[in-house]
Amino acid sequence: MAGRGDCGDGAGARQHVFLLPEYLKDASKKMKSGLMFVKLVNPCLGEGALYLFNMCPQQLFEIKVFKEKHHSWFINQSVQSGGLLHLATPMDPLFLLLYYLQKADKEGKFQPLDQVVVDDVFPDCILLLKLPELEKLLQHVTEEKVNPEIDKKKYYKYSKEKTLKWLEKKVNQTMAALKTNHINVGARVQSSAFFSSHQVSSDKEEDYICYAHGLISDYIPKELSDDLAKHLKLPEPSASMPNPPTKKVKLSDEPVEAKEDYTKFNTKDLKTEKKNSKMTAAQKALAKVDKSGMKSGSTKTEKEQVTADPHKAWLLLMSLKTLPEGSGFFFCVLENHQMPKDVHIC
Amino acid sequence: MESSDEEDVVKYRVHLRPITLRNAAPATLHFLPCEIPVNRPAPVERFFTPAIRQGPRGLEVSFRGRSLRGEEVEVPPSLVGYVMRMEEKGEVSGKQDFPEGSEDEEEQELLEPPEALERDFDRFMGASASFSRFTVWGLETIPGPDAKVRAALTWPSLAAAIHAPVQED
Repeated sequence: MAGRGDCGDGAGARQHVFLLPEYLKDASKKMKSGLMFVKLVNPCLGEGALYLFNMCPQQLFEIKVFKEKHHSWFINQSVQSGGLLHLATPMDPLFLLLYYLQKADKEGKFQPLDQVVVDDVFPDCILLLKLPELEKLLQHVTEEKVNPEIDKKKYYKYSKEKTLKWLEKKVNQTMAALKTNHINVGARVQSSAFFSSHQVSSDKEEDYICYAHGLISDYIPKELSDDLAKHLKLPEPSASMPNPPTKKVKLSDEPVEAKEDYTKFNTKDLKTEKKNSKMTAAQKALAKVDKSGMKSGSTKTEKEQVTADPHKAWLLLMSLKTLPEGSGFFFCVLENHQMPKDVHIC
Repeated sequence: MESSDEEDVVKYRVHLRPITLRNAAPATLHFLPCEIPVNRPAPVERFFTPAIRQGPRGLEVSFRGRSLRGEEVEVPPSLVGYVMRMEEKGEVSGKQDFPEGSEDEEEQELLEPPEALERDFDRFMGASASFSRFTVWGLETIPGPDAKVRAALTWPSLAAAIHAPVQED
């Protein structure tokens, strides 16, 4: 009971505010197995994070927590401190598998998946092996071998080349989703822009790809994120900017700092930042970079894949504000569940 | 305390009782722009709710002598809001013990545990209420479209794009 005293008495029982996909409710009708919260690795940080696992059909959900300082909930006839909002969203398990494949690659040989996905710290990682269509997923990031004479088991080896191609597709489809939000916000953004419309559109392309790269980087180790930046021919901050932004550091090494930056950013500085962010040193530098190698993010396939809700007009505003900093807005507002003191689901 | 919580997750998986997602009664939620450092019952309906007025620019209420302005925010489509509670440790061994009458139904479900996934020492959570909208309150001003919580609500649609399977070559 130690350490749970405040949770134990009825009057002080904590309530956790969650948003879950609606279909989990319907699935529960036929479900004999269940849903469970498990701690697995955060593939970017290598630390533990909380995930939700649906056992039937097997699916992995990431849990992000929205925190806003100085907020609380009234829930019916009760008060809940902290003002946290937990969001569970489906997660591509390949990000987690990739983490283990990369780790296992140090041995430099083909291995069966159940020898790759092992973790003393997060033993529940074996749940990942139960997920459907793993073989199909693994094609994107591995070379595989089968030895039919011995067994039908497949042996996998991490492929950096394939992984970068896969991640590029991820960046592109993320970019497309960001743009879908843009469509509905165009008028508002342009009304406050300092650029001519031509400049706005050409700069945005880079902003989007950097932002999407930042979002994807939240799911991969830093080294791979750097490789992906090179692969995408993103400008190298240190080479092209007088004041190198701390983006990379914030993304992978000091996520907490990013959160605090954001808080600062959105209190009294909000109005000035909104204007200034249109033309920061980073963006000026971006504009000078050779764009010939830049991938265009608006291909047909990406448009088809977009699933973003088109009604969130202000998302782009938020993105634009934070883009010069590189570290996306969501890193700041949402973080992988690291089990803060005041949360007791863990 | 934090570290002991983390240990717990490794030691004890936390199961979410699926049936509670269907049975959760609708709840009224207010997202308040102030710290209230307690978790306990509060007479919200007696003092807070009756004071809410529909002003010319949204909802208005006075709370602790401060003027709050509010607006309703919808939970994004295809998502449902839930209020979850961790069951007491006494309830955890619920396969044998029946904690409260109201939860008998859940216990029935538990009589068919999913293989070895549930272990005697695991912990359990259930949804005690559901919601499809809540009221966001700002201090003196309406939270408006730039409210951070609104931004958080767009995360699921962006996450869907990030985690969608990629197109095959």
